[in-house]
Amino acid sequence: MEGLIHNLAIGFGVALSLQNLFYCFIGVILGTLIGVLPGIGPVATIAMLLPVTFTLSPISALIMLAGIYYGAQYGGSTTAILVNLPGESSSVVTCLDGYQMARQGRAGPALGIAAIGSFFAGCVSTVIIALFAPPLAEVALKFGPAEYFSLMCLGLIAAVVLAHGSLVKAIAMVILGLLLGLVGTDVNSGVARFSFGVSELSDGIGFVSVAMGVFGFAEIIGNLEQKEEREIFVKKVTGLLPTLQDLKDSAPSILRGTALGSFLGILPGGGALLASFAAYTLEKKISKNSANFGKGAIQGVAAPESANNAGAQTSFIPLLTLGIPSNPVMALMIGAMMIQGIAPGPQVMTERPQLFWGMIASMWVGNLMLVILNLPLIGMWIKLLTVPYRILYPAILLFCCIGVYSISNSPFDVMQTAVFGVVGYIFVKLECEPAPLILGFILGPLMEENLRRAMLLSRGDPTVFFQRPISLTMLLIAGFLLLITLAPAIRKKREEAFVEA
Amino acid sequence: MKITNGKDFWAGLMFIAFGGGFMYISGNYAMGTAVRMGPAYFPTVLGGMLMALGAMVLFRAFVSKLPNPLAVFPFRGWLVVGGLALGVMAYYTQPPRDAVIVWQVGHMFLAGGAIGLLFAAFGPRPLWVILFSVVVFGYLLKPLGLVLATGALIFGSAWGGHEFKWKEVTILSVALAIFSVIAFVRGLGLPMNVWPSFWE
Repeated sequence: MEGLIHNLAIGFGVALSLQNLFYCFIGVILGTLIGVLPGIGPVATIAMLLPVTFTLSPISALIMLAGIYYGAQYGGSTTAILVNLPGESSSVVTCLDGYQMARQGRAGPALGIAAIGSFFAGCVSTVIIALFAPPLAEVALKFGPAEYFSLMCLGLIAAVVLAHGSLVKAIAMVILGLLLGLVGTDVNSGVARFSFGVSELSDGIGFVSVAMGVFGFAEIIGNLEQKEEREIFVKKVTGLLPTLQDLKDSAPSILRGTALGSFLGILPGGGALLASFAAYTLEKKISKNSANFGKGAIQGVAAPESANNAGAQTSFIPLLTLGIPSNPVMALMIGAMMIQGIAPGPQVMTERPQLFWGMIASMWVGNLMLVILNLPLIGMWIKLLTVPYRILYPAILLFCCIGVYSISNSPFDVMQTAVFGVVGYIFVKLECEPAPLILGFILGPLMEENLRRAMLLSRGDPTVFFQRPISLTMLLIAGFLLLITLAPAIRKKREEAFVEA
Repeated sequence: MKITNGKDFWAGLMFIAFGGGFMYISGNYAMGTAVRMGPAYFPTVLGGMLMALGAMVLFRAFVSKLPNPLAVFPFRGWLVVGGLALGVMAYYTQPPRDAVIVWQVGHMFLAGGAIGLLFAAFGPRPLWVILFSVVVFGYLLKPLGLVLATGALIFGSAWGGHEFKWKEVTILSVALAIFSVIAFVRGLGLPMNVWPSFWE
């Protein structure tokens, strides 16, 4: 316990420095902004800002990028409640009851409870990270290549199982991602693989290009394909503070949402999106008057909003302790760490305690900023929603292009991103989820490296993965996950959970 | 046998093509052994797995109960013909290194036009108009500077949307150009020239 307090003291020392407070502020402002605006998510934003972080110190860069992710969870609820459009994919379920509350003239309490729930969840999950990350990192330090390989298999399979849509396609997307990750010079032999003699490709396909093309550009094009229809609930939002009865009604939901969200965030493949869906389903199941759900039940806002914030934050645990990303945002964070010359993994905590604890402390600071930002400034965010998309998207596009161009100051990266924009558009049309592809892409080279090392150490005996207990356990869990997803009963449930909510 | 799910059909073909492509190219590299894996080992295995999964998706397209039309993408045959024609012309008029500038620029237009038409042959208008303006921005940034390239991107991409209002787009371009010069060049110090390079 003493160690924890000491560590948190280091963290707050770092997070409260003037410079880091500033970048945390920028991060949460940007996060709220893109959370409020439908049509641009944290993935595209972080990808856009990655090149900019070159010039920052590692800790400031990571604090800012983290702020964007959890800030987006706050902003997303505003749009969901007032416009009935998810500003962020993790706010889809908030639309159901939040918008109904707004129609009944209770937009204020809905926004208030979302912010309170998010803040509570943010505080709890910050403590959870501080408590659970160190022991997990200690275990991870003992991992050999075989364990790492199995862990990555587990992570990728879990991500596939939890993604929605077809299982076969999701696995295929993971493998395609792994293959794309292999493009470039092979570290062992020095052969430039799949580069077609293009010198830029021998350094590998740019991670920012893939993420921004597949998520950013493809999203803009998809949005433009549909006619713009946005009706904003711009009735005056008054009385942000929920009544005592509201608080009493939603307190248990906030607690359950936080607990469920924190747990689901830690799982590979988890994060804000899954957490909010699961929390809403749970609330509806155990509520005494579940008929109220979908008609403006405050629990239906409180639970998913707490859960998505908790999930967003605890998904940093696998990243910080194992160096394994659990969702595309975390994959980008790994990219940011590598740009700064930090190898992600369990050694980060011991070698760079300032970075590790500073980032955790900054999350609490950031959450506090968000509550302060969101409640009084809500009017400003609503104004922003009245800006038509035809003005927004050229601006978004421009910032994306400048970001991509500045990676290496060459038009090649811009063209590459455009190519992945086409590819991403095709994926969307063919109902292939791009999230598993990004995870595979970042893990491709790591997986090959660990496979090679494990096989070298075992002298070519593939049973090594089953002989080591930790490795075996992880493979068994992965196999089990796959099996239960294939079981027809669960398969139906899984589809329901995503469709119904 | 009838294809019921067009999306699965194309997705299956796509996965098979990618898997096969990676396997085929891996043939150029050393395979190695299980103990000392060569550069071809991992991609070959993955490529095989991808092809198998693609075959499963393809098979599903014939038995699926989800009806999806085969025409997932719009397709304009005459643009493909035009694009290929320009491409062939561009291929045979490749300028040597010391060719006159008119020839080189002309060739760039030919090649660019070919790629543009092939893009435009499938997919909705926003897809090719927007991505084409993005690429143009990338290639104009160095010679013409941030301000003019921004103008090109904003006008191009706005043209790809539903509504295009001259006045609005002009104001937007000017505002964004000023903002990005202040924020990116002055503020963040990104190494970009603001005005055309031959002016400075």
